[in-house]
Amino acid sequence: MSELIKFDGFKDMAALLELLPERKKRMKEASAEPQTGDAMAALARALHPDIQRLVITDVREEAAGARVFRLVPDKESGASSLAVFRAGQYLSLKLDISGVRVARPYSISSSPADADDGGFYEITIRKKDGGFLSEHAWKEWREGTKIEASGPAGFFCVEPLRDARHIVGLAGGSGITPFRSMIKDIAETGADVKFTLLYGVNRPEEIMFKSDLEAFAAQAPDRISVHFVCCEPDAAWCGPTGFLTADSIRKLAGDPAGKSFFICGPQAMYSFLETELKQFDLPKKRMRREVFGETADVASHPEYPPDAAGKAFSMTVHCGSETTVIPAKANESALVALERAGIAPPSECRSGECGFCASILLKGKVFVIPETDRRRLAAKKFGVFHPCSSYPVTDIEVKVPLDKS
Amino acid sequence: MAEGKKAKLGGACDVVIIGAGNGGLAAALALAVRGAKPLVLEQHNAPGGFATSFVRGRFEFEAALHELSSIGPENNKGGVRRFLEDEGGVDIDWVPIPEAYRVILTDSGMDARLPFGEAPFIDAIEEKVPGSREPLTRYFALCREVSGALGLLAKTAANPSPKRIMKDLKKFVAESADPFDDARRNASNVVTFLRTLPKTVDDVTLKMGIPPKAVDLLYPYWCYLGIPMSRMNFTIWAAMLIDYIDYGAWIPRLRSQEMSYAIEARVRELGGRVEYNTRVERVLVERGRVKGVVTASGETIKTSAVIANTSPAQLYGSLVNPASEAPAAALRNVNSRKLGGAGFVVYLGLDASPVELGVNDYGYFISKTMDTDAVYGSMEKLDLVDMQATICLNNAIPDCSPPGTTIISMTTLYKPGVWDSVKPKEYAALKNRIADAMITQFDDALGTDIRSWVEEIEVATPATFARYARSFNGGIYGYELDPWDSIIPRILSEKEESYIKGLEVAGGFATMGHGFSSSLISGRSAGLKTLAGLGG
Repeated sequence: MSELIKFDGFKDMAALLELLPERKKRMKEASAEPQTGDAMAALARALHPDIQRLVITDVREEAAGARVFRLVPDKESGASSLAVFRAGQYLSLKLDISGVRVARPYSISSSPADADDGGFYEITIRKKDGGFLSEHAWKEWREGTKIEASGPAGFFCVEPLRDARHIVGLAGGSGITPFRSMIKDIAETGADVKFTLLYGVNRPEEIMFKSDLEAFAAQAPDRISVHFVCCEPDAAWCGPTGFLTADSIRKLAGDPAGKSFFICGPQAMYSFLETELKQFDLPKKRMRREVFGETADVASHPEYPPDAAGKAFSMTVHCGSETTVIPAKANESALVALERAGIAPPSECRSGECGFCASILLKGKVFVIPETDRRRLAAKKFGVFHPCSSYPVTDIEVKVPLDKS
Repeated sequence: MAEGKKAKLGGACDVVIIGAGNGGLAAALALAVRGAKPLVLEQHNAPGGFATSFVRGRFEFEAALHELSSIGPENNKGGVRRFLEDEGGVDIDWVPIPEAYRVILTDSGMDARLPFGEAPFIDAIEEKVPGSREPLTRYFALCREVSGALGLLAKTAANPSPKRIMKDLKKFVAESADPFDDARRNASNVVTFLRTLPKTVDDVTLKMGIPPKAVDLLYPYWCYLGIPMSRMNFTIWAAMLIDYIDYGAWIPRLRSQEMSYAIEARVRELGGRVEYNTRVERVLVERGRVKGVVTASGETIKTSAVIANTSPAQLYGSLVNPASEAPAAALRNVNSRKLGGAGFVVYLGLDASPVELGVNDYGYFISKTMDTDAVYGSMEKLDLVDMQATICLNNAIPDCSPPGTTIISMTTLYKPGVWDSVKPKEYAALKNRIADAMITQFDDALGTDIRSWVEEIEVATPATFARYARSFNGGIYGYELDPWDSIIPRILSEKEESYIKGLEVAGGFATMGHGFSSSLISGRSAGLKTLAGLGG
């Protein structure tokens, strides 16, 4: 076909055969040492360890019935350093509580620099937040208690390539914890960003980290400003009062245009602020909220199938080569039912976001809260669901992943 | 702990597949449709390896796939589509990529859109570089001959041995007619094929009289193989070029994750099992035969056949146990070969439409120059690389993101080792610095301002690929395809380089080279070989 090519059988065959001796020669001359190192796997492990073994070295009382637990690497288990994190990230703490393996996410309230060189993480837990793990922590955790945690996770972080140069943090209640980390980080690193914190509380005594936050602002007054906004002020209160509203936000943080808003607080605050911030007509990218924790009352969701409410179901669970039938309640996530039964698939965010607990729904139906449905399109198509944000509304049959450990 | 270890996975099975990447899934599918019951063990929590996606805010990003070759339309299916659909019974919603690529060379100011199909492709180059048509037409004919002969060899190579293949070729030449397939051409295919086999792409291409500027327009796909044209074997290049230009390129509608979930679901439906969060730590070998695998949680699964969707470096360097069972020849083999590139990807969710942004093409190859040696050289530094391969998903799937938004992902490559010295503490700032420079690189080349519209950003580095896919050293490619380590020498050496009975490699490090399509095809063939070994 190609006139350029004239066939010379022997020569062409020889050309083919020449490649093989070259290959053999190269292999013969190569070293027989196994390649055991993998620097990228090592870097990935350092950044995202499956598990961090930590020990509590200090417990500090904070306002509003909160305790700050300082966690350091557990040297006895061979740990010597902490994974670096970005301010705003959380740890998923993993515990066995009376035989039940549970995992709950907690924002890190200390700064990234605090974790350097085998330093510490701090997490802050309020007693009144209730919950299985909070209560346990409050009762059992003291100096010397060993804790297992995931690597740092989550996306509630300031991102210079995405966010405005001026960040407005809207905090409510214990939603202050990631902001404490962000603000401390900005104070320490001299990051080229302005941060205005508006921290809403019900009563003055509920302000957590008050003196810390004021100190960070004093350290970098041109970049950090902190405002406490109180609903039910006492006689001594001289700051702004009321809820965080569009008006108060505008008054304290200035013109909302060209600023990024970060929101972390209780669910009621999200819904309220969502309406308020609509007045600012901000693009979606200028509003970021931490999605946290399981929904308290799923049946109140407008799209929840009403006849399922309050019912009890059975859940047939395939895990590895084992099959178990366990009870499940309509108002509890499938993950809670699994954990209660001692089947603990991996989980981190408990908000439908991270996908660690991803399982397959083989039969039956679950209700997935649309707002927290962060599944991939293909996952939906092929019956994959996230037990942490899915609630059985019929008897169901599922295949759940094994725990890594 | 130890006494409580139950056999969570069942203790024994016929075939264990390590890794649910493209190669592992394809192997599982090939086995399962033939009645075997493979057990696939995957360390991550979803199938796919690189064939995956992830969600940030209101965007779902494709993690790795730019475009699949060998798919083709319903009425002219390519090999990969035939395997998945006709043989495997896997249903995927394939979407065609609208054009081959847009190439922008910033040093010379060259900017061209090239369509699929040989004639339109050559027309478009002729328009930019007059005088290209004649030599390019000859060049495509040559590439087509090589590609055809390679296709023929793929058929004869079911049980490859140098002797067998040489015999086939000799017979083929002697008879001067294609005894295998009417569609194939005459013996000159084989002549051309043999003549170009030891050559590099430059060796052949630069002698065809194609104007240099036209060569620049012809070469961009080089980065899909990631080795400069002065070293890349011509055979594989010709096959790739013809495949893309003839069949076009395709992607699954719901990202490559649709393909991996679809294969996984089909494997389960056929009685195979796929387990996640299950890392294999050891492949047990006794006197040169596979005996089983041990998982990270300490469970032993007995088996006589393992398909490893990993690199041979990981396989012989740390998985094979005891280490004394890793033959010196296997280790020399691994050490003689050159690891391909490691990936770096910037994923952007933008809150403006492609039209508003002025990003109207699907695939962009943006490069300082098409001097592939120079660009390859820039991959050696921990800095902005001279080239990025960028896709705008909306220009193939307009509703892949909400109305008024756009998904763009920019990919570049680093040579293995470049990221080795990065400390965890400096990691976040480093990846942002490079991502920042790549956004500028894109905006400068197109005269756009995508930077101002970033609603979501994520950056994947070699460490990210190592984390999610356990790819060796964060590589996204297998071994470099120099002539001596290109497909034909690999096929010819398969028997000799098979070191442990019952052990096959699938994926980007296998015979067919890297890339989604190649990994799927080599996974299939690993499945078939394993089946033959089982006496199936």
